Amino acid sequence: MDTNHFVGRRIALAMVALAAVLFAVFAGVASAKNAKGSDDRLSGAGATFVFPLVSTWIPAYQQATGTQVAYASVGSGAGIAQITARTVDFGASDAPLSPDQAAACNGCLQIPWALSATAVTYHVSGLNKQLKLIGPVVASIYLGKITKWNDPAIKKLNPGLNLPDKSITVVHRSDGSGTTYNFVDYLSSVSPEWSSKVGRGVSVNWPTGEGGKGNAGVANIVLSTDGTIGYNEISYALANKINVAALQNKAGMFTTPGIRAITAAASTVKRVPASNEMHIVNPPASQKSAYPISSFTYIIIPKKTGKAATLRKFVFWALTEGQKPQYTQKLLFVPIPKPVLVAAEKTLKQVGS
Amino acid sequence: MSAADPTATSNTGGLKRGLRWRPGDTLFRSVTGLAALASGVLILGIAYTVFRDAWPAFHTFGFGFIGHAVWDPVRNVFGARDFLVGTLISSFFAIVLGAPIAIAIALYLTEIAPRYLRGPIAMLVELIASIPSVVLGLWGLLVLGPILDKHIEPWLHDHLGFIPLFGGSPSQVGMLNAIVILTIMVVPIITSITRDLLVRIPGELRDGALALGLTDWETIRGVVIPYAGPGIAAATILGLGRALGEAIAVAQVIGSSTGIHVSLFHAADTLAGRIANEYFGAASKLQLDSLIGLGAILLVITLLANLGAQVIVLRAERRGVL
Repeated sequence: MDTNHFVGRRIALAMVALAAVLFAVFAGVASAKNAKGSDDRLSGAGATFVFPLVSTWIPAYQQATGTQVAYASVGSGAGIAQITARTVDFGASDAPLSPDQAAACNGCLQIPWALSATAVTYHVSGLNKQLKLIGPVVASIYLGKITKWNDPAIKKLNPGLNLPDKSITVVHRSDGSGTTYNFVDYLSSVSPEWSSKVGRGVSVNWPTGEGGKGNAGVANIVLSTDGTIGYNEISYALANKINVAALQNKAGMFTTPGIRAITAAASTVKRVPASNEMHIVNPPASQKSAYPISSFTYIIIPKKTGKAATLRKFVFWALTEGQKPQYTQKLLFVPIPKPVLVAAEKTLKQVGS
Repeated sequence: MSAADPTATSNTGGLKRGLRWRPGDTLFRSVTGLAALASGVLILGIAYTVFRDAWPAFHTFGFGFIGHAVWDPVRNVFGARDFLVGTLISSFFAIVLGAPIAIAIALYLTEIAPRYLRGPIAMLVELIASIPSVVLGLWGLLVLGPILDKHIEPWLHDHLGFIPLFGGSPSQVGMLNAIVILTIMVVPIITSITRDLLVRIPGELRDGALALGLTDWETIRGVVIPYAGPGIAAATILGLGRALGEAIAVAQVIGSSTGIHVSLFHAADTLAGRIANEYFGAASKLQLDSLIGLGAILLVITLLANLGAQVIVLRAERRGVL
């Protein structure tokens, strides 16, 4: 009898302790859910691409409106994951939502809110001039079909350039990345072979090359290894003084990513689809100076949110005031074109509580 | 257990505490017991969740998922083969390089080093274990990579290039970089466990060896290793578990490439590395499921490794060695 009594007590105590632990866990979860803060704060997470721009917006916006915005540059994929879980008020991504992501996000809107470019970077020591490339050649390099820097296809584009008899080391992102999306979006549109063999996505099945983690990972390999080719966000490439290749556009001109060239690419936008998914890589020849790997980056917000008014106000500010040269120019972002702004404002009206 | 048989409750056979209930004891037992229970529940819970979430991947691709080579997020076709092989290769070499170094350090610390050096060296080795893996990965990328690329790999290629492992062209990131980083990670684990084992070797055994006039090396070979061998093997397997599961540092230095490459200079990838790289960027549900599928495979491998270590220790205990 005594034993049973003893065991019974023990079990009872164990149950109490277990209940206490479970209670603590659930209480923690619940308080985390409620920890979004008051209405004069917004929290966002996502693309590293727009982080420099958003960082210049935050103090200006707080001064103008008193609203505090916090933005964590955790990468496009993580941003989408966080807004899907509603742990932040907005997400940001360089790649438009995939159908699966859009479904999972359950009533999310994507709004193009900034515009910049992806640079093709390279490191070949001793070159006497800037490297010129065309889309199909870049695709062939990334398909592993052009393997030497003095390949006839590259030589033909660069008369007078002292290209060495050196292997090309192809560098790409190893993590899921909006920059990758923009780059392979371009390769897919200039190379049927790329489009059918590899395709477009935030991560793809790379036929060749080595992967670096993040913009910094790719930049580091390109900077420190002779004979490399890679791709980076333009502001990142410039800040780290990496060589940027000139790319030929549809009009036949070789252009480098700069304000004028990105603006020209953006001005080819005439219509915006209902999904707001924009593709301006390899733009039509009508814009003679357009840079061919320009792209929009998106803010992702839920249609139904407790902070609808605060969020609408912030996004509207970003789309208008935030596009002014004092914020964008130095970072090589370009004001979003009129048709996109109109569509963005229309989409913003759908946000409610 | 029946209350009619009072002897059944006493398994110590000897002294029995009074039957008076002691609340302090009960509370203490409950808390410690609950903690032990929680670890069991946790491992089962984690395994259940991982396998449940990985199920769609196995359902879609069959168990061929494990041996399938393609990993194509655009076409939604996934297979684990290249990462499984990469995990096994990187961990294998990390252990082959790391275990002898670690055991040598432990032997030096317990058998050979002068007493005043033992503490500081042991502390330094254990400090290596406290370097966050993301920092070690950065070091691998920024410091080790260029050294491998410009000095070590060209030298290996020139002198040992006839071995296919050293046949490729040098590169900053790749399998070799990952192997070196993993080696650095496993050494302190194996060293510290081995050292603890060696310290516990009874003094009489050493005295006996001394009395027989054995040299240092003969003592180590004839007394120390046979005594501590199973424990050292178990320590090595614990180190292996660390190497198998390391994600961030590997993702930083291995170059994330698919395919199986004989050359250690070539970029490759591991199960954990692929998860670290793609989990947050997964574009489709199936990609996410497949990444968790990689996690499930990894979980099985590491559990098997740790079970192996426990079996070795258990068998040694039964033989009365430990």
